[in-house]
Amino acid sequence: MEFSNLHLVAGLGFLLAVVFGAVANRTNFCTMGAVSDWVNMGLKGRLGAWVLAMGIAIAGAQILELTGLVDIGSSIYRTTSFGLGGYLIGGLLFGIGMTLGGGCGQRTLVRVGTGNLKSLVVLLVLAVSAYMTLRGLFAVLRVAAIEPMTIDLQAQGIADQGLASVLAGWTGIEATDTVRWAVGLAVAALLCLWAFSQKALRDNKDNIVAGVVIGLIIIGGWVTTGLIGMDDFDPVPVEAMSFIAPTGNTLSYLMTYTGSTINFGIAVVLGVIAGSFIYALFSRTFAIETFTDRQDMINHLSGGVLMGFGGVLALGCTVGQGITGISTLALGSFIAAISIIVGSALTMRIQYHRMDEMGLFAALGTGVADLLMPWRMKD
Amino acid sequence: MSNFTKQLDASGLNCPMPILRAKKALKELQAGDILRVIATDPGSVKDFEAFAKQTGNELLESAEEGDSFIYRLKKA
Repeated sequence: MEFSNLHLVAGLGFLLAVVFGAVANRTNFCTMGAVSDWVNMGLKGRLGAWVLAMGIAIAGAQILELTGLVDIGSSIYRTTSFGLGGYLIGGLLFGIGMTLGGGCGQRTLVRVGTGNLKSLVVLLVLAVSAYMTLRGLFAVLRVAAIEPMTIDLQAQGIADQGLASVLAGWTGIEATDTVRWAVGLAVAALLCLWAFSQKALRDNKDNIVAGVVIGLIIIGGWVTTGLIGMDDFDPVPVEAMSFIAPTGNTLSYLMTYTGSTINFGIAVVLGVIAGSFIYALFSRTFAIETFTDRQDMINHLSGGVLMGFGGVLALGCTVGQGITGISTLALGSFIAAISIIVGSALTMRIQYHRMDEMGLFAALGTGVADLLMPWRMKD
Repeated sequence: MSNFTKQLDASGLNCPMPILRAKKALKELQAGDILRVIATDPGSVKDFEAFAKQTGNELLESAEEGDSFIYRLKKA
């Protein structure tokens, strides 16, 4: 087997992902946990870690793009096709799924590395569901029901869905490089400032470490595929960390190994599991965990299906859209991330009200009211 | 005499369920009452520390017994 550019990119992606997995395990970085801490305890430490990772990743990605080093705009996020239905519906379904499934895509991989067999089941179901949505039976539904909700931005006179272009389209000002620098650095600074304004972030260095390291790893992903991997004769897609479609591709790769080729996304999926596993061994926290409760198994299976389906519709998960996509400043990534948070928070409120033997629809109504009037969530 | 008012078994459940159930159970207790929680999710250790700190309900105990984690929370 010849060592190609693709193998170099995959190898570097794997190494970055090993660090991601180890740090996420060590620091308890969890986007669903972030929503849970916020909604159930009013604590914004882990949410701050997530937002800090976004801010750092934006700063890095924008510098790489605006200095001409990496063509971030050629990634899947900032296209002229604005898949509003996918961002909204996919994001909501993903948010519901990650709450039922015990964590988002990256958390599932991290937990697989710690010996959690419940997460292994979620991972397998998620992978099948994602692949079915990319190319299988669920793709029929995606094409028939979700894709028609896509808006062609060029027809609206907007160059692409980057925040600077959207702003330019709405206000009539030209999206010059100066405007792009200003928008990029302002959004990055705002997010970092918001994160550090949270006492719960400042009080726990794990949250700061998680935010900084994961933000830097996303930048490392862009550098790997877009700069180191830039080769006209052996091109690779410009991308950074994402965990839903790549998980589907990983399963397909493992099942058709002799006829398949590794890529950056597959290497990242395997790397996060490896990194978490290595940390679990060194910290002596590796422990086999299995299902003990019937309802818990139903929840995890449903979570896997919803994350695979919703994650593909939304073009990514809490990391794929929620950090990598956001680092490109694509409007759709912000919408998808907010939809995921809303879906997750709503599911937690429904679970909370269902403990009072409330019917599903009554709990849904009460949960929506809670989100609209957040002070109600203090009880 | 047991050293808790009410016991909650959240074995087999992952985040956010142990916290959600504890929150609901505490709501039904009086100030000074003690809730004992049994969980198996390793992530619950940090969750209950944060929950106690944030809500003011004192975490009297956080211990490991075999494959389970035991918490005792005193309602504020």
